[in-house]
Amino acid sequence: MAKVLVVADIKGGALKGSFAELVSTANDLGAEVAAVAVGAGVKALAADLATGTKTQYVADDASLEKLTAAALTAAVVDAATQFGADQVWFASTEAAKAAAPRIAAKLDAACVTDITDVQVDGSQVVILRPAVAGKVVEKVEVKADKVVAIVRAGAFDAKEGLVASENLVELSTPEADLRATIQEILTEAGGAVDLADAKIVVSCGRGAKNEEGVALLKGLAEDLNAGFGASRAMVDSGFMPHDSQVGQTGKVVAPSLYIACGISGAIQHLAGMNGSKVIVAINKDADAPIFDIADYGIVGDLFEIVPIMREEIKKVRS
Amino acid sequence: MNILVTVKNVVDVELNIQVKNGAIVQDGLQYVMNAWDENAVEATVVLKEDQGASTELVCIGDGTATVAIRKAFAMGIEGGLLIEDEAIKNVDSASYAKILQKVYEQGDYDLVITGKQSQDTDSGQTGILLAEFLGLPCVSNVVTIEAIDDKNLKVTRQADGNKEVIALQLPAVITVNDSINEPRLPALRGIMQAKKKKIKNLDLSDLGLSADDMAASKTKVLEYQAPQSRGAGQKFEGDAAEITSQVVNLLATEAKVF
Repeated sequence: MAKVLVVADIKGGALKGSFAELVSTANDLGAEVAAVAVGAGVKALAADLATGTKTQYVADDASLEKLTAAALTAAVVDAATQFGADQVWFASTEAAKAAAPRIAAKLDAACVTDITDVQVDGSQVVILRPAVAGKVVEKVEVKADKVVAIVRAGAFDAKEGLVASENLVELSTPEADLRATIQEILTEAGGAVDLADAKIVVSCGRGAKNEEGVALLKGLAEDLNAGFGASRAMVDSGFMPHDSQVGQTGKVVAPSLYIACGISGAIQHLAGMNGSKVIVAINKDADAPIFDIADYGIVGDLFEIVPIMREEIKKVRS
Repeated sequence: MNILVTVKNVVDVELNIQVKNGAIVQDGLQYVMNAWDENAVEATVVLKEDQGASTELVCIGDGTATVAIRKAFAMGIEGGLLIEDEAIKNVDSASYAKILQKVYEQGDYDLVITGKQSQDTDSGQTGILLAEFLGLPCVSNVVTIEAIDDKNLKVTRQADGNKEVIALQLPAVITVNDSINEPRLPALRGIMQAKKKKIKNLDLSDLGLSADDMAASKTKVLEYQAPQSRGAGQKFEGDAAEITSQVVNLLATEAKVF
């Protein structure tokens, strides 16, 4: 039986929705599943971590408040070694992208990022992942005994009815690597709703033009309790924070509804959102490439359309 | 400060890409310098201009990569290595990192700068693996670089929902995000000078590696598939109030998202 170690993605002291998705899928594969959580105060999540897992490894120490890639690596390698993991799974975060290759190197494992599917047949592990800005899908064979994988947002579904069995194992606190130390954390004024967890995402592109356009779309996002994303153009011009960028180089999102406002649909942007279940596009240019993938395309000026849309949404919701 | 910057020649993702019989159709493909490597080159040239750093690039590829190398020269990189070998085909990021490790060990570098990922594989592993193989500290997804002195950098990294300001001791590896800078367009003078610069060609044996080292890849692409196409849905044009109302109602009744 394969042994899968799922690395918990924790933000603001809470377990992210991706954890249940990864644990559910690992259980579906018939694997023995363990969890590992690293950070300050993560022991408080022990009961949540136990859902669908047999063992919970935690590295909990105040020094892990500013969590470096090196410390995350050391703790996950420790857990993977104690558990005897064949596979280590991360949800797709910047922390995961920084740590996964290091963990693979230390475990002499293969490393595969941005995976959308994993098939285990006896000892053979085959993985699917998009490449070339989402224009192809690679079918990858893992030729090592172990693999570290980062799962693409929205690729796996959470299931109900997972059995919890608490078995907490405390890991020793990793030593700090003094050659690369976090001096300061600069928080960004992002949207109130986390893009990765949002059921609905409103995204703003060059067509929003200015602060007024951004405020208008933020209003729509707030109405819908949606995450608020952006195309690269709006990030480069300073209207939106870096962390809100959706695309090949930014965040990959796969919400139930994605509303692209004033976004033309460059291939790099599409690569970050074409897994969304329903896509609505609002754009003045009837030939914009975003309309090639939109389920519902509205040809028009967002400054005119969005206020009407906010009213109409209020109507259908009441 | 001696900087080694990596440059990869990759398929132009802006163009159409077709998959047939499990392979990418090669006809009509064009190749360009990996977009994130342009950012890495720009960051390197800025350190040359501001700190007097010496700069060298390494490219793993074949003869067609000389266009990307000349472009990096034209942007201001001083020297270049091209690693070309028949055995470097369909290998994984770890194999690339192994080659770069040997290049690093043969030289005298303080800092390696790579793009955070290459736009053909989108893997984002090579720079980080290189640091791991060399036992060097690494900061990935870097958005600002500030040289404190010859042995210390202050870098900012884009993390999850925030940025981390990191004190980094050299030697080290950093991988850069595209928001770090706007890569310059080579000036004519740079382009003329780039033509005169020599590219040093090496193969695996020059680096003390063999085809067996490449065959030890831990992953192998079995085949390529075409992604599921979404196809265009309905497009609404005309009176703004009317079409917006129509779409919102369809979202409620047909798509059932409200």
